[in-house]
Amino acid sequence: MMANILTTIIFLPLSVALFLGLFRADLKLLRIGAILSSLGTLGLTLLLLSHFNPEATQMQFVVNHAWIQNAGMHYKLGIDYLSLVILLLITFLMPLLYLYMLKESRKGYWYNMMLLQTGVTGAVLSLDLILFYLFWETMLLPIFVMIGKYGSSMRQYNSMKILLITVLGSMSMLFSILYIGYIYFETHAVWSFALSDLSSITFQARTSIWLAAGFLLAFAIKIPLVGFHTWMAPAYGSAPTPAVVIMSAIMAKLGIYGLWRFGFGLFSETLKFYEPTIIVLALIGLLYYAIRAITETNLRRMFAYSSGSHLSLIALGLFLSNIYAWGGSLYFIITHAIASAGVFMMIGLTYYRFKTIQIDELGGIASSAPIFTFFFAFFALSIAGLPGTGGFVAELLIIIGAFKESFIIGLFTATTMLSAMVYIFWMLQRTLFGVQKNICEFKDLNKKEILMLSPLVILLLVTGIAPSLFIPLFEPQLSISLNEILTLTQGAN
Amino acid sequence: MLNLIVILPFFSALLLALIYLSNPKQKRYQLYTTIGVGTILTITLFSLFILLEVVQNGKTLHTTLFTWLSLGELQIELAFRADKLSVVMISFITFIGSLIHIYAAGYMKDDTGYGKFFSYFNLFMGSMLLLVLANNPIIMFIGWELVGVSSYLLIGFYHKESANITAANKAFILNRVGDFGFIMGIALLFISLEGSGFSFEDIEANIFSIDSEKLSLIGILLFVGAMGKSAQIPLYVWLPDAMAGPTPVSALIHAATMVTAGVYMVSRYSFLYEQIPDVGVFIAYIGAFSALFAAIIASYQSDIKKILAYSTMSQLGYMFIAVGLGAYSSGIFHVFTHAFFKALLFMGAGAVIVALHHEQNIFKMGTLKTKLKLIYITMFIATLAISGIPPFAGFFSKDAILVTAFASEHYTLWAMGSLTAGLTAFYMFRLIFTVFHAQAKKEHSLQSLPKSMTYPLVVLAFGSSVAGFLGVNSAYGGDMLINSFLSLPDRVHPISHTTEYILGSLNVLLALGGMGLAYKLFAKNPKEPQESTIYKKIVINKFYIDEIYTVLIIKPLLLLSHFIADVLEKRVFDALIDTTVWLYLGASKQFIKLQNAKVRYYALYILSGLSFISLYLIFKLGVIS
Repeated sequence: MMANILTTIIFLPLSVALFLGLFRADLKLLRIGAILSSLGTLGLTLLLLSHFNPEATQMQFVVNHAWIQNAGMHYKLGIDYLSLVILLLITFLMPLLYLYMLKESRKGYWYNMMLLQTGVTGAVLSLDLILFYLFWETMLLPIFVMIGKYGSSMRQYNSMKILLITVLGSMSMLFSILYIGYIYFETHAVWSFALSDLSSITFQARTSIWLAAGFLLAFAIKIPLVGFHTWMAPAYGSAPTPAVVIMSAIMAKLGIYGLWRFGFGLFSETLKFYEPTIIVLALIGLLYYAIRAITETNLRRMFAYSSGSHLSLIALGLFLSNIYAWGGSLYFIITHAIASAGVFMMIGLTYYRFKTIQIDELGGIASSAPIFTFFFAFFALSIAGLPGTGGFVAELLIIIGAFKESFIIGLFTATTMLSAMVYIFWMLQRTLFGVQKNICEFKDLNKKEILMLSPLVILLLVTGIAPSLFIPLFEPQLSISLNEILTLTQGAN
Repeated sequence: MLNLIVILPFFSALLLALIYLSNPKQKRYQLYTTIGVGTILTITLFSLFILLEVVQNGKTLHTTLFTWLSLGELQIELAFRADKLSVVMISFITFIGSLIHIYAAGYMKDDTGYGKFFSYFNLFMGSMLLLVLANNPIIMFIGWELVGVSSYLLIGFYHKESANITAANKAFILNRVGDFGFIMGIALLFISLEGSGFSFEDIEANIFSIDSEKLSLIGILLFVGAMGKSAQIPLYVWLPDAMAGPTPVSALIHAATMVTAGVYMVSRYSFLYEQIPDVGVFIAYIGAFSALFAAIIASYQSDIKKILAYSTMSQLGYMFIAVGLGAYSSGIFHVFTHAFFKALLFMGAGAVIVALHHEQNIFKMGTLKTKLKLIYITMFIATLAISGIPPFAGFFSKDAILVTAFASEHYTLWAMGSLTAGLTAFYMFRLIFTVFHAQAKKEHSLQSLPKSMTYPLVVLAFGSSVAGFLGVNSAYGGDMLINSFLSLPDRVHPISHTTEYILGSLNVLLALGGMGLAYKLFAKNPKEPQESTIYKKIVINKFYIDEIYTVLIIKPLLLLSHFIADVLEKRVFDALIDTTVWLYLGASKQFIKLQNAKVRYYALYILSGLSFISLYLIFKLGVIS
């Protein structure tokens, strides 16, 4: 059972989808199938968690089969602290998303979601670069379809935009992957694309800078770092809510994950070269997106920028390379995912009631819907780093990590205390408070919606009140891999 | 028990919120009051027990709930400590807090959001107690931030008025600006001491390992936090606007909690500020300027709550003079006495406002002396106390501060403080005379007040009269009970009793002078200040500080945001992408020309292609030869 657990977790949704598609299942069956598949993966992941050893130094539950033998491509999977965290996020969010889209009657929507889950899960668990690339592209397809087919306002233009720009990144990454494989072939006379093999290569400085650039471009677009973000606001603005949640809560984090796993795994020395650039870009991004968000009038686009701002902070923490910043970044991956899932669901529910998410057309929700207001304000405030929610802990750790690096970086990083607050509080004022401008009756949340949102609230509170429950899960492996990288880079100096 | 003091308010806030959200429309006055007020009464009792325990044993109590965070060297326990300083703080916070809760049960009785109000109110109390009892800077910071959040909720309580939310936003944002400094101070302190623990005891033990330059920076950054919370120049502008909340909120925020957090924080870090007296002097000057500045503005305001708000800022200024000059106990002593008379003034003002059907302009009031007799008497006592007339509480605490300023040879600070004392008496009696003595412009039909709104006033009036005796210094025959109990590292400046008498009587004279002037101008026929001269215009408009901030900060920020949206996003980033697309399209158009469906062109392409291949074969690869 445990031997193939990772494969099962990845392919359960896809195989359910294929099976249902083959028999042309009706909507009801499809719905049940999708929900069962998501609960199944959640159950399996929890089972995995109970067998996971946080002290182990190696990848766990490794699966390694030859795939295309001549070219050295393997079907290799494995899990450690980093992938575990993201896997938990995916499997935790999927059932809630299905609950959110329960009334959805377009079948394609459900199929796409299942394919998407397989794509993102596979990307997180792959340890072979070609396999990773395969899943990396797989997860883009459903997003493309969902924006283009089920999205709103200029959906086709925007879906094309995200597709082309992201593919540009993936292509450059593919080039780097193939070239690294070739270098390995030159030195070892066999092909391999397994991360563990390739990370042993010592590159020539010049080559490695170009190779690393290929990866960095893909991840910078996915996060996105400032300058690589033109796809972000349009895509978030047009995508249907479940797709936005996946993009913000999971896919953007995969950009960080890629940097963490493959960036530091392959090029820990070379990244020293890029470190100042990325730190500066991340600091600019932190403020740039936040300031841009102030005058944004579309809620979904506003939180797209908000997402960009906080992901810049996560990227910053990653490149600060000390235990506090790393711990903070990893913690922020979790808490930001939960909070932004909450916010985007609330925005979706607002649209469902008012048929608009333009801020100037909203207002006065607090007077007619106190429960809705509570949830909305809670998620928005947790994005702003409300103490008592997990985001606060993460930001605190990253700030401390930044001060450990230098006072100037610390100073700019601490502006995260201010940056999110301005747009969030002004937005709350215009959306929830004041008097209602819209003539529609605003219904408060129903039981299903409360059931769907409460787990998010509870998790945010628990991560904020008792971070010591979660941090030991990844702390030992985190400090080990951090030390490995630090010794490598210090050796280079 | 110590744990429960912090946990109970949070728990009851959660409980109230859940009950309220389960059915927002239903009125459950009894249930909400029992939970909301009952909790605070319970923890007041607990605090008294702890106070007694600490007084008897003289030892510091410690409790630990659980490890909050453990990463690298960062080991943060959710731990509380009741030492002499925090035990004094929690005693009067809970005591005055419970009086305000009782008052609020009357004041908010008919509000539809009654349950929500008490949920926020208890959250606020819990946060404040967490701040005070925390055993390390991180947990203290969490309490500090939560106080900001709950004040946001309370100030914006009447959320249908957009202006109230603006006030709430302003309060939170300015507090966060302070917190921005505060967190940097904490982070820097942690990094400087990394590896030697981070509870207050550990920091105190290792403080000498930090060089004084860095320590000064830390001290200033921490104080920036205090500027925000305690409404000092330049982060004070939220305080007057915070009057948008219900009056019990103003009383709670201004009297015993929130604004006093800054003074408490400096006293908590007294071991740190002892190392950097220069920063202390800076703090004292900020305090003195704030005190004087606020007193000047208060003298020209017409809104009863705004006058009191500026008076709070002014009194906080005194406290910072004290802690800045190293007289921590005197600072805390003034926090303590101020809590009584300021809570009383706000609750009295709230009672007047309710009685007059929500009229807040003092010039539209008048002749209330006989109609609201109890409120008049109690507020008069509080005014005597705040003006520093002996033997009321304010005299002793304010006198101690001014004597310190004089004795430490900071004569400018002393002069500013004394001037402020005169102004304080002036504007406070201006308020009393205009509201209670002067002839009313029109007849008011008064609304009756519930008992829960008047009885707490009597208790506080008693407190305002006698609280000062806890800190009478030797010149007046006391033994500074509170100072010796607090045992903070006070700097003592010896000064003769004669000088003290002279200083004391000078202040009383100044206060009486201010009182007399107020009587002359406002007791009979008060006139609302008019913007007749430029000077008056500037003062009435509060020196245009809000407008200056708008022009200097808000406008540029919005402009920058628009610039990013319209120029950078569209003309730079999108344009880059669009140019690529355009170039690609252009190239495609060129290639279309080649593919023109004319056979003779295609024949030409084939010919030239074949020629190239042949030439390549012949000359490069040498196929023929």
